[in-house]
Amino acid sequence: MARRRWGRRGKQSNRWLMLAFTLGVPLFLTVVGGIPLGRLLSRVEVTPTPVAAAIAAFMLIAFFTLMLSQTLTAAVDALYERGDLDLLFSSPLRPQRVMTVRFLAVAAGVFWIFGYFLTGPLVAIAVQGHLPWLAGLVVLFALALASAGAGLLLAASLFRVIGPRRTRTAAQVTAAVIGASFFLAAQAHNILGEGRSQSLWQTIMRLARDPQVQVPGLDWPLRAMLGEPLPLAAVVAAGAGLFWLASAILGPRFAADAAAAARAGRGATGRTRTRFGAFAEGAFVTTLRKELRLLVRDPALLAQVLMRVLYMLPVGFLLLRQAGRGDDLLFPGSVAALCLIAGQVAGSLAWITVSAEDAPDLLASSPSPVALVRRGKLAAAALPLAVLLAPVLLPLLVLAPLAGAAASAGCAASIAAAGLMNVWWQRPGKRSEFRRRGRASWFVTIVELLVGALIALTAALIAMGLPWALAAVAPAALAGLILLALRRSDTQIAEALRVAS
Amino acid sequence: MTDALSLTGLTKTFGAKRAVDNLTLNVRQGELYGLLGPNGAGKTTTLRMVAGLLKPDAGRIEVFGTDALAEPSAAKRLIAWAPDEPMLYDRLNPLEYLEFVAGLWGVPAKAAQAKAEELLRWLGLWDNRGERCEGFSRGMKQKTALAGALIHDPSLLILDEPLTGLDAAVARQVKDLLQERVKGGATVILTTHILEVAERIADRIGIIQHGRLVAEGTLDELRARTGEAGATLEDVFLELTAPDESHAASPAA
Repeated sequence: MARRRWGRRGKQSNRWLMLAFTLGVPLFLTVVGGIPLGRLLSRVEVTPTPVAAAIAAFMLIAFFTLMLSQTLTAAVDALYERGDLDLLFSSPLRPQRVMTVRFLAVAAGVFWIFGYFLTGPLVAIAVQGHLPWLAGLVVLFALALASAGAGLLLAASLFRVIGPRRTRTAAQVTAAVIGASFFLAAQAHNILGEGRSQSLWQTIMRLARDPQVQVPGLDWPLRAMLGEPLPLAAVVAAGAGLFWLASAILGPRFAADAAAAARAGRGATGRTRTRFGAFAEGAFVTTLRKELRLLVRDPALLAQVLMRVLYMLPVGFLLLRQAGRGDDLLFPGSVAALCLIAGQVAGSLAWITVSAEDAPDLLASSPSPVALVRRGKLAAAALPLAVLLAPVLLPLLVLAPLAGAAASAGCAASIAAAGLMNVWWQRPGKRSEFRRRGRASWFVTIVELLVGALIALTAALIAMGLPWALAAVAPAALAGLILLALRRSDTQIAEALRVAS
Repeated sequence: MTDALSLTGLTKTFGAKRAVDNLTLNVRQGELYGLLGPNGAGKTTTLRMVAGLLKPDAGRIEVFGTDALAEPSAAKRLIAWAPDEPMLYDRLNPLEYLEFVAGLWGVPAKAAQAKAEELLRWLGLWDNRGERCEGFSRGMKQKTALAGALIHDPSLLILDEPLTGLDAAVARQVKDLLQERVKGGATVILTTHILEVAERIADRIGIIQHGRLVAEGTLDELRARTGEAGATLEDVFLELTAPDESHAASPAA
């Protein structure tokens, strides 16, 4: 009874925490962004200069790219995860109407993600006497409509060109690449090297300022965001038009496509190699092989995880370029970033391998010790990271041995800490939930981040050499203490899982 | 001879509901035992406790004389558990699945590989060995799960509704397989709602209701108990599990 009450209290406090977080983030953005910007706008007038227009257009392209990544995934989900589609299509409602509503929900969903962050600041600006700035939200919704239309057209085109079986994989990978492309573009100076990327940025700015090279209509997005009626109407018409076009073209076809997708799902999807090597032996090795196979064969998971791995790229390039160049703070900073990102990716993978078990009863009814199976699962989460980190860490160990050793140890500690947190605070779920959750829980996410940051700081201090390395003891000890405090025995884990179920 | 399974005073409560109530039953070695009962009678809960998936509140479970609560690993080594929903991984093919299950039960690799081939050929899945289970029909999935249950040659095979959703041909294949295992010396316990199956293949039948064993024996013994000489198992079952006034009045009892 007490446990149940405790469980209820835990759930209630979680709800309050969630509510505080949900309201806190936009409030914070409003206070630090919207209010000061509103005041600034009372003194400075925003005019559609070529540079401002270029920046606004670039920002909208970035938003559109991120939205498209979301809507493409949502469109594919609408095709493959039938949910209530069978019921709706068998009702007297016209398929086109059903699909229009569904597409509209996709647009609303993506608008909500961006609107959540931008509504507060924009309202704060408007309240301070700049009402036309609310047009930014209208532009955002038009962008959401356009991205929904484009995502649906792209998904349907993939469906036509490469067929139902490959569309899902291709779309998921495309969505991940589209989503990451903006980040990679923003990090161009780390990947390409400062000289080349500066000239790229300078070229963009120079072209924006050059009266000879004016792109007609480039200032319309900015004018629309500032509330000018004609550009605003044009942007809304363009967004709504693309959405209407997608609905009109795809609505009638979507029912047939969804049925084809369902047939493809029922068929012999994904034939693995018929040649099969010798069986492995023992619970550890067979669990490791099973988890690696499942990771590799889930394109949606892989795309999500690879997207996080892409964030390592700029850091890796930066590290290798800076290695041996002396005492620039950028170098230990990169060591820290690499450790932190490695821990984050490990956390995601460990959640998939440890908690997202499709046949928990099979494991529970087997005579293999839980710890042995769990080690196999953690090894499966760590192995891909070891492979991904090796090309950065091995050269680093040669170019800057101390920093290389610090980064290697930091990454290993960070990966181990994330793995342990996911074992101690398991939250069983289905693999399909990964796209929505990505991690075990908010609590685990925050602790992973905190411990990862402390380990990263330790590695960075060691990479800076003496006397800084002496100070590394403090964050390392703190990380260790946090982990010790949160440690759970097998019995406690089993009890927590029982209460949760 | 030691019983294959011996349950003594087994009890399990979920909140206010007593799912299994002081259940005592024995399953002999080399017999096919049919565990029957209406929905919610406690069949699956009982079997899940035997398989080590649930901890009983009270009572004792012995598998071939081994105390399953004190030495769970030793007991699990002898058991195979196959629930009504096959425990499979959609993105593994049957061979990969069997490799994993054999690894969990510590079957040597060479023996496991040979056994996997034998089982898949026997169950007509050899040609599908390279295909992922996600594309399989219900029957193919059930057969793959059965192969997984048999890969370590269990002495006690526990099957919860093994014939649910299977077409006639596959159901026949599964029934033949179970009878073969029993002839080979294994013990099989199965639950089923298809009473004709229990009537045809079970050596002894236990009927539980409200978590208690209400009757047990061969079909003839059960008929004798109800006093209906030519009755079918369905008649006997309905007679023995007819709504009980005391339970109707107090569902939590």
